[in-house]
Amino acid sequence: MSKENSRRNFLKKGLEATAFAMLATTEANAFSSQIPGRDEKDSRHIGQKGKHFVMVLDLRKCIGCQACTSVCKIENEVPEEQFRTFVTETEIGEFPDVRKAFLPQLCNHCDEPACVPVCPTGATFKREDGIVVVDNDVCWGCGYCISACPYDKRYFNKRTQTADKCNFCAQRVDKGLLPACVETCIGGARVFGDINDKNSEVYKLLHNFPSTVLKEAQGTKPQTFYIGLDSRVEELFSTTQSLDDIVKAEEGFKREWEKARGEVENHG
Amino acid sequence: MDNAQHIMTLVSSITIEKPWGIDVPNYFWFTGSSAAAFIISSFAHVFGWKKYKPIAGIALLMAFVLLVAAPLNLVDDLKQPGRIMNFFSYGWENFATSPMKWGVLLLIAYPILIFFEAQALYRPYFVKIAQQSRGLTKMLNTLLAFGNMDLSEKALAKDHKKGYVLGAIGIPLALAVHGYTGYILGAVHANVMWHTPLMPIIFLASAMVSGTGLLILLIPLFQRFLSERKSVDRDMVATLARLLSWFIVADLVMRFLWLTFSLTFANGEKYALYQYFSLHFQDTLWIDYVLCLFVPMIIGFTKLRNIPIVVYFGGLVTAIGVWLFRWNTVIGGQEIPRTTPGFLHYTPHVFGQGSIVSVLSNWGVLFVLICIVLLVFPWDEEMEECYKGAENAK
Repeated sequence: MSKENSRRNFLKKGLEATAFAMLATTEANAFSSQIPGRDEKDSRHIGQKGKHFVMVLDLRKCIGCQACTSVCKIENEVPEEQFRTFVTETEIGEFPDVRKAFLPQLCNHCDEPACVPVCPTGATFKREDGIVVVDNDVCWGCGYCISACPYDKRYFNKRTQTADKCNFCAQRVDKGLLPACVETCIGGARVFGDINDKNSEVYKLLHNFPSTVLKEAQGTKPQTFYIGLDSRVEELFSTTQSLDDIVKAEEGFKREWEKARGEVENHG
Repeated sequence: MDNAQHIMTLVSSITIEKPWGIDVPNYFWFTGSSAAAFIISSFAHVFGWKKYKPIAGIALLMAFVLLVAAPLNLVDDLKQPGRIMNFFSYGWENFATSPMKWGVLLLIAYPILIFFEAQALYRPYFVKIAQQSRGLTKMLNTLLAFGNMDLSEKALAKDHKKGYVLGAIGIPLALAVHGYTGYILGAVHANVMWHTPLMPIIFLASAMVSGTGLLILLIPLFQRFLSERKSVDRDMVATLARLLSWFIVADLVMRFLWLTFSLTFANGEKYALYQYFSLHFQDTLWIDYVLCLFVPMIIGFTKLRNIPIVVYFGGLVTAIGVWLFRWNTVIGGQEIPRTTPGFLHYTPHVFGQGSIVSVLSNWGVLFVLICIVLLVFPWDEEMEECYKGAENAK
């Protein structure tokens, strides 16, 4: 055998052995590109087949009490200063014709989410029941989904150091409970259910009242619907003043709080 | 969370995150400058423009080190860098829609290609060194020549052809390795500043500017202090200055198209963008455009290009200017409100992950890599031979 041939044979055999070793040590499902939870059909990843969960926010009933905000933080162990849901408070009109307006916000669980297709690890995905979730065992924290969300509804969880957001309390919903914010809403402004079920409250509400979604032009088809949304509240999103004034005022806030604390101490 | 953001959260919205910090503009600057250096080296290796032959080798090596150092920025920007394998194992179902996914293939293929092209270019020199030396140097150079010690005409022609083919494949790859970073931003329709199909082209144009600016600074430095000739090729400096001016023209045209459309003829989001540029009007105009683009453009197009020190100044300000442009795009884009009633601000930390020090460390890595390639690759001999060849041709 010539020298060249023996070298070629050696390389060939080496390659074969490597390929065989790789195949032998790899499980069959490793060739699927999906994350393990979805491959193993984990119920937390698959969700409730045949259902499609939506939330309706009836702004006629919201009083801005922030009960939903606080219960969400407790239920989902959301770190300090971070929020999955929040009720924006604003004033609309001009004195003396003014009134308060509230806008509860949370992940819109879009039908065409902007966050999911850009995820490079597949850690965030849409369950079969429409709930968009993040597998925080897989997420590597690149932040692309956070950049992609037109609603600012994702953030890096300080504790897990991964992308986090509202998951409609999937851990409760899968046990037949309501999301914590819906359960606690004292005015009944938050309504949750399966839109495929014609007897559900969400189905009835959405078919009896005009509703709308936030930032429809983004084409994300949100599944969080608003009844009674005033376009002036939405304009809050497109105001363009610099926040410098608010930052300056922040100093004022601080002093106010210090004063308040001081008074408490004096009384004590 | 800084105080301003805390107030914002109170008055308006849920947690507002600016996920991409100082690492990301730095990464974009590195990949862009690498692509530009590669294209300039291809002027000689692929298009056969003899004028650029003496600097083609060193430009190729700079393209290589920039691209090896660049991805470290990305790793630093991750919140869970230990999970880097998840990126390779999962998420391929999103390949078509996640430009980040394309990046990994490009970031692996491109430096490997540059290395093999550089190997083909320098192989005869490795062979010569190996033949004249003993011990470790001999071993290293034999290894770098991949054991092929043939210096016959035929073998050299084969090297040349290999360099040509790799260079030709490398051009689209270099454009893609930087173009995809613009694509990452352009694909984000939630961000009014980023969302334009022009973004990859704008990035490429400004990358050519920063890469040429960087070579204008580095090549004279190497020639003056590290090479046998111990003097700067002033003609080359003037040539690069003129090239830089043309790249600036291309960059300005792209930015003109981008800004005029997005500030005037866009949908409702133009108001936010208009407000952003109004807030930053003075610094954008005077620093970004006048100092960092118009001044170097004038230097390259006039007789000023024959005064090296003036050209170095031009190279320096363009390199800095493009870094600022990357910053203004990545960070500025995230400052524009989406669900908050006003602009946000980002100030990088001094220490820790995604901080000023981590970016400086990355520059430190780049410096070390430059030292290594300058030591290992016989760039000096190759450059000298090109100059001799050019003189003989005269």
